[in-house]
Amino acid sequence: MDEFEEEVRQAFERRPAPPGLKRKLMERRRRVAQRHSFPLFAWRGLAASIVSVSLCILGALVVYSNYQQREAEKQREGEAARQQVLTALKITNHALEHMNAQLAARGRGAQQ
Amino acid sequence: MAHDWQPDFEQLVDEHQSMVFSLALRMTGDRGLAEEIAQDVFLELDRKLGKMESAAHACFWLRRVAMNRSADALRRRKVRGMDLWVEIDENHGVREENRSSPLGARLEQLLATLPEAQRAALVLRYQEDLTPEEIAATLEAPLATVKSHLQRGLKLLRAKASNHLKEYVRGV
Repeated sequence: MDEFEEEVRQAFERRPAPPGLKRKLMERRRRVAQRHSFPLFAWRGLAASIVSVSLCILGALVVYSNYQQREAEKQREGEAARQQVLTALKITNHALEHMNAQLAARGRGAQQ
Repeated sequence: MAHDWQPDFEQLVDEHQSMVFSLALRMTGDRGLAEEIAQDVFLELDRKLGKMESAAHACFWLRRVAMNRSADALRRRKVRGMDLWVEIDENHGVREENRSSPLGARLEQLLATLPEAQRAALVLRYQEDLTPEEIAATLEAPLATVKSHLQRGLKLLRAKASNHLKEYVRGV
């Protein structure tokens, strides 16, 4: 390195940063952090809303499903009761027919 | 990749603010703009702090981003049509009282008159004491180009300084 290059090196020594640079930088950093923290809150609120709505929908689905199950159960029970009534009616009908036939036979015996 | 180094933002600012500010100042020639660039560079560092692998990596990153941001600022000024060279000459911030010789003081002003690529190479070579290989990595330029910029820049600076000295001697 010659004398001129040495002169250049000395001339190009680092300059001290302005005294307020770090303070201003830290203030800007704080402002940026505050600005970025708002969307975080917004995202948190949005996420909470989505979770709430999802829970409501899930709850409604569970309630509707239970209601449908209860209705199906009732329908099954009603059908069973109807079948029982029909069976009872058939038995009664059969008994009445049987009695009727006996009465008719006795009537014919008395006439003879 | 996992790394043990835990970067401390404030400590990095303390250590490198002079370097970043000086690079921006010598590239743009404007103290206010250089301060703004330095702040921007450190704020970007803050965002990417987790990606810094070591102190050397952070220093290399700061140099590269400071040079890129300064180049961007110069381009923006050119687009806006401002007369940068006049402004550099006026605001380069050379304070004669801080300089050991009149030539030293004048060299900084003469630096501002060099083409941007040569100026960048010279600043990294003589302010940061980087090798041509390190300069090439910092500027993401071919090594041969960097060497050429260094040689031409130094030659031009020497010629300008020589003229200045002649004028100075005539003046005395």
